[in-house]
Amino acid sequence: MEISSRAAWLVLGLPLALGLAWITHGTGVIQNDPDRNISIPEELTMPLQVQAAFNDTHVYFRYRWPASQPHVLHDVLIYQNGEWIRKGGGMPGPNPEGFHEDRVSMMLDDGSVPGFDRYGGYIAIGAGAAGFTDEAPEEVTKSLPGTRIDVTDWASVKSPETLNALREAGYFLDLWHWRGHRSNPLNLSDDQWVGEQRGGDSGTSPYTTNWDKDANAPKWMFNPETTGQFALKLDEIPGGQVGPDTPYFLSDSTAVAFDPEHEWQNGDVIPRRYIRQTEGSRGDIKVQSEATWKDGYWDVTLYRQLDTGAPTEDKILENQGLYSAAFAIHRNATGGRWHMVSLPVSLGMGREAQLQAMAFNGGQPEWGNNWKEVTLFYPGQVNWPLLISRAHAGAEDIEIGTPVQARHSERQLAIYGVEMEFNNEIISQWLLTLIAGLLAMLGVTIGLLSVFSARSTNRKGARS
Amino acid sequence: MTGIHHMLVHFPLGFWALATLMILVGSFFKGRLADISREALLPILVLSLLAAAITVASGFLVWPLEAALASPLTRNHILTALWSLGIFTMLTVLVWRAGSGAFEGARRWVLVLLALTGMSIFATTGTIGGHLVGATTQFSELLKLLGWDVYNTFYTPTWVIGALVLIGLICAVAGRISQRSAR
Repeated sequence: MEISSRAAWLVLGLPLALGLAWITHGTGVIQNDPDRNISIPEELTMPLQVQAAFNDTHVYFRYRWPASQPHVLHDVLIYQNGEWIRKGGGMPGPNPEGFHEDRVSMMLDDGSVPGFDRYGGYIAIGAGAAGFTDEAPEEVTKSLPGTRIDVTDWASVKSPETLNALREAGYFLDLWHWRGHRSNPLNLSDDQWVGEQRGGDSGTSPYTTNWDKDANAPKWMFNPETTGQFALKLDEIPGGQVGPDTPYFLSDSTAVAFDPEHEWQNGDVIPRRYIRQTEGSRGDIKVQSEATWKDGYWDVTLYRQLDTGAPTEDKILENQGLYSAAFAIHRNATGGRWHMVSLPVSLGMGREAQLQAMAFNGGQPEWGNNWKEVTLFYPGQVNWPLLISRAHAGAEDIEIGTPVQARHSERQLAIYGVEMEFNNEIISQWLLTLIAGLLAMLGVTIGLLSVFSARSTNRKGARS
Repeated sequence: MTGIHHMLVHFPLGFWALATLMILVGSFFKGRLADISREALLPILVLSLLAAAITVASGFLVWPLEAALASPLTRNHILTALWSLGIFTMLTVLVWRAGSGAFEGARRWVLVLLALTGMSIFATTGTIGGHLVGATTQFSELLKLLGWDVYNTFYTPTWVIGALVLIGLICAVAGRISQRSAR
């Protein structure tokens, strides 16, 4: 047998190497790492259906989204061996005990915030944002870039005078924030804004904290006369799921002052939040009828006056106005940044837009089946300073105002968001893979040199 | 530099596509066209490498390096471009070494396998380049069906990286042993 025939099989080393790389690619790096605030959701995108309508005085938004289970409990206090232990605080990814409320939120702008109509919530994620691996030492919530002297420095907030002027000029986002536990039980929604931070409108919020620091105990407990219980039982709320007839929230009608003399049992559960009526601008948004969870879907309708009379806290809406909205969903007992978000959607009040609010007469809209289908995605750890930096190839596109939708799909953004959480590790592994592939090629080439030796050439230019 | 890179990239892709075609014609056909393909293959391969080197260099000037490294698509573009260059460098070396006998015996099957592998990878490189400028093709859907979504960075676990190097090492050693035993 000739040399050329005997060693030619070595060429199979290349498809073997590349095939192995193909089969195993994308594994070995991405995994949850709570120490670095990393928890990747199982599904990177999800659907949201939205409808909008308005009459002479009010605007209505209806949201419908899939959720395998309703999470209407938020953080709770659990009695354990003489102490009340908090469960359900914010954490990377889903709360394993199910103690985190479902939420739908919507940021709204009237064109006063440059870039929101093109980049949506991305512009509200500044440096040091809470929940990021490199989060600031103190909690940094959503904020707008124009409120910082240096967008790469979370602490470089502009002067109060400038912030006030920005607010007067409309440089803020209106934030509608329905909370499954901390507002919904009383058919309320939280009403907030995003400016130099995420803040609440003036007035009284729909919840307060049920904790007495001095007594190291709750302030309130369930009213046994109206609810038939002093507390929930931990073993009766598996996965944070309450029965349909189980009283699960504390409010004026369901709570009384905490009784430390009661014989509390291990596993007794008291909500850590007390739900109350809102006052002032904070209470502008309410739930129409009741929010429902049925057959794996939440169906929530919120409404508000078109003109709330608070133009520095709410975006005032008008017939034939064109606005921008971006949505977010918290589900599966997740909180913080582990939500699903949308790209911006144009909102037309009685005029053509991606989401057209239909004008109607009367007390409440007749919802048809004309939904705006929105794809939400997991945004990962991508912030505005990164997007406008040299580390983002699309920074020039942002500079000239190219909308994000022109360059990226929601699925693509979700993948990029996840990869950004492991950017250094992936670059390292990618580079090693690249070099290893080239080394495999070099080795195969050396192996084949004997096959391609000129000494064994028989006939010039002919094949055998 | 973006426009220049787009212009330059046609040269290596054209040369590589032509070289692949010449290898197929030279391997499986007879006649003048096949003879010309075999005779002209080496110059085409050499030109392809020169064009590829210039094109790759221009590609690194399109965006700042930190931007190129931070983008999964760009990372994939770089990897597939350099692997394409690697495979056609293999072909160039082997054809140069064998001279006019490059298509003899089992050698032609080696050339065919390498050329088809190289073609698949440079087609992927071009497809990803299309994604980078916002012009996607159905080819990336095919890749997705085969298991790779090009929006995900192509990287392998560490043990596979070791295996790739080991495969290369084994092939190199086996080739040398085979050569010595034949003397």
